[in-house]
Amino acid sequence: MTGPVLLTTLFPGLVWAMAALALVQVWRRAALWRAGAAAPVAWLDGLAKLPRRYLVDVHHVVARDAYASRMHAVVAGGLLAASVLTALAILPPLAGSRIYWVLVALAFAVTAVGSFLVGARRYPEKQKRLSAGRFQILPFLLVAYAAGGTLTALLLALGGGGGVLAPLALLLAAAGGLGLAFEVRHGPMRHAAAGALHLVAHPRPGRFEGRPDTALQPLDLDAPRLGSEMPADFTWNRLLSYDACVSCGRCEIACPAFAAGQPLNPKRLIQDLVAGLSPAEPAYAGNPYPGGREAEGERGPLARLIGPDARIHPDTLWSCTTCRACVEECPMMIEHVDAVVSLRRHQTLERGALPEKAVGPVTDLRQAGEPGGRSLAARTDFAAGLDLPVLDGRDGVDVLLWLGEGAYDLRYGRTLRALVRLLRQANVDFAVLGAEERDTGDLARRLGDEATFQSLARANIATLARHRFGRIVTADPHALHALRNEYPAFGGHYTVMHHTAFLLELIRAGKLVPNRLEDVSVTYHDPCYLARYNGETEAPRAVLDAIGVSRREMGRSGRRAMCCGGGGGAPVSDVPGERRIPDLRMAQAAETGAGIVAVACPSCTAMLEGVPDRKAEIRDIAELLLQSVEAGR
Amino acid sequence: MKIAVLVSTGRHPVSGATVLSRLEAQAIRLAAGLGEPLGLHAGPEQAVLREALGQGLVRGEHIVVPDGVDPVPALAARLAATKPDLILAGRRGQGGDETGLVPYALAETLDLPLIPDVVAMASDDEAGTLRLDQSLGRGALRRVLVRGPLVVTIHPDAPAPFAYAYGQARRGTIVPLDAAPGTVEGTGPTVEERPYRRRPKLVKGAPTGGSAAERLKAATGEAGTAASGRLLVDPDPDEAAREILAHLRQIGVLAPPTRPSIP
Repeated sequence: MTGPVLLTTLFPGLVWAMAALALVQVWRRAALWRAGAAAPVAWLDGLAKLPRRYLVDVHHVVARDAYASRMHAVVAGGLLAASVLTALAILPPLAGSRIYWVLVALAFAVTAVGSFLVGARRYPEKQKRLSAGRFQILPFLLVAYAAGGTLTALLLALGGGGGVLAPLALLLAAAGGLGLAFEVRHGPMRHAAAGALHLVAHPRPGRFEGRPDTALQPLDLDAPRLGSEMPADFTWNRLLSYDACVSCGRCEIACPAFAAGQPLNPKRLIQDLVAGLSPAEPAYAGNPYPGGREAEGERGPLARLIGPDARIHPDTLWSCTTCRACVEECPMMIEHVDAVVSLRRHQTLERGALPEKAVGPVTDLRQAGEPGGRSLAARTDFAAGLDLPVLDGRDGVDVLLWLGEGAYDLRYGRTLRALVRLLRQANVDFAVLGAEERDTGDLARRLGDEATFQSLARANIATLARHRFGRIVTADPHALHALRNEYPAFGGHYTVMHHTAFLLELIRAGKLVPNRLEDVSVTYHDPCYLARYNGETEAPRAVLDAIGVSRREMGRSGRRAMCCGGGGGAPVSDVPGERRIPDLRMAQAAETGAGIVAVACPSCTAMLEGVPDRKAEIRDIAELLLQSVEAGR
Repeated sequence: MKIAVLVSTGRHPVSGATVLSRLEAQAIRLAAGLGEPLGLHAGPEQAVLREALGQGLVRGEHIVVPDGVDPVPALAARLAATKPDLILAGRRGQGGDETGLVPYALAETLDLPLIPDVVAMASDDEAGTLRLDQSLGRGALRRVLVRGPLVVTIHPDAPAPFAYAYGQARRGTIVPLDAAPGTVEGTGPTVEERPYRRRPKLVKGAPTGGSAAERLKAATGEAGTAASGRLLVDPDPDEAAREILAHLRQIGVLAPPTRPSIP
């Protein structure tokens, strides 16, 4: 009986060898992460929360694709269970138990089923969003390991293993298993090792605590180099996070710029950051940037990443609308937008390499506190004829109405007029800052001009400190995000509400009595900076329901809504594409058959209303509510 | 080539904030195409020079001159000492204490030629000479070949300025200089400041009398020179071409036809 005894040693030994090989491969990878900048990481806390982050937060995203979710549960669960069980068989009592080997065989059988599910996504034809290359070998390695493992465990369970079959089965398992472990460095299995470490050392631990952790992190303007020029400028845990990318392509399906044929593909961007770090990285095998530009330039931790002759073309960088759709969809919890902004910061702050058309607005922001270069006193011009109280010199108010950039726009002025009239009707004690209100600096920050943002933030915080008010209400989700989430880092702590949430409060308190507009069909377009950045998707819908319109949802809505193309400075950067993002969004709205697209953001209003051949009207929630309130009179 | 760019304390036309004047930012961009320009500012504060460093300057010299004192003697002394081949300035002031006369006063003091309203600059093949494109208004350009040293003022049609880069502003160096002895005196030419007043615009060729309708016709081209145009419906291409040529010659865009010389 030397056969089975040898086998009970060799088989667990194989798993230990796999573990050792995987560890070596991770170690080689870690040498690259060490090139990154230092970052504070709460190791113990992260480790303790790893299971929860994986089982709750990651699963929540993975489960959006039911097939992938089941596939991953079966194959990863089976692989982990089978490998751990086999490794434990190094203990003689377990190795001698036939029932134990039946258990192991079952675990391997489950893995085998999962492996076929993995293979079915790639053969006979690969799903479009997936990457090819080394990922195409993965099903074979999995099947070899799982089938070899099942057979070996079965032989042990049956007490056989003396024949020719046992060495063959073990050889098959070894080929698959060691192959999988080897792939931890450059292949698909890297996502497992880097992904787990990434969940522990995530740069935004707040997003696992159930609150949206979406504020851009402030940049130290006295740092020796501003922003990221090369891979080594990223913190090490960001480099680690890019290695976690499993090339599933969910981001590229969600990306509005990719859909519009602008030269941005979030998956390719992350893979370019990975490949930029290491010259040994195998060639990218997924969908290219629209336009098909090939990667150029040097690679390595100190190689320049952005440039017409470098790995990533500047147009790719400036195509991003910072809508966070990719971040929302990423099952590996990668923060694409942080990477984009960090790269933009270097371009803008160190090289002055803003897109040509964005220079004017950013210059005016810096010099006049307003991206159109208009007089701050003209911000309230939209309210000509309305009684709009200005806070200056008053004894304090309940509500400070933050007007934002939309106030200068003639179309959006209508929305603000509706909002002011609603506030008047509800007898709200409110006022505006008037000429003291500067832009929040949102545009400058998204375009990487952190210096201008910080000086505007400090000026606004100083202004607000001179006044007494209860809370801030604004109709601009971009201003809301800056005031609520980004100003606290500079000492400004305010209660900030979006106008839809505030109007809902007024309706519920009985201060506004809407009449039902029965024969109106409405579809609501979620602004990225409200839904994804702040998780507010319910209040606008509740207001629409209070009006009684028939509400239809677009295919992509709520936190998974598609961007209108108006964020992140994309309208001023104006990178050419094959289509326009707002056209795509209006086509989605048209599919619902709704006559009105309800909006809640000045950027969305401008972008969607600018769509030619539009069948639906664009109306802000405030305008619809005013219409319904006034319908009874 | 040694290039000096004069940097003044401008005011933003809307917000009134102290800013680098756009023309000077454009001057920096033009100068950067020829070599590494040196910024020169005479005044009490160096903030504007710092902003200019963010828009393409690498080095700036700040001559400390108290508020209200004429900067021309101090600038002239420094320029006479450093002898740049090219001195660039904006063509007019932008708010603040500026008169827009500094480049002219400097050219006079230093006895240099001044080329105004330049929109493009390039080195010519012959060493030491420059090819300047001078704006004559309404898109017309005049190309001049010059040899330095000279003073050049920049026209707004020059290429847009570089974007401001905070990191470059932080990195650039500013050398504080004391004004040359005897140059910190005088308040410069006395100027009278009056608020802008809109003046009625005279319409050329409009009848002074007559009804409003007649004056409108004259202003919008229903009468007068513009009314003398000819309307051709579906003309023969040759005839149309002849008409267009004749019209272009009439308004002076094309030269009159050259007659073949008779031997």
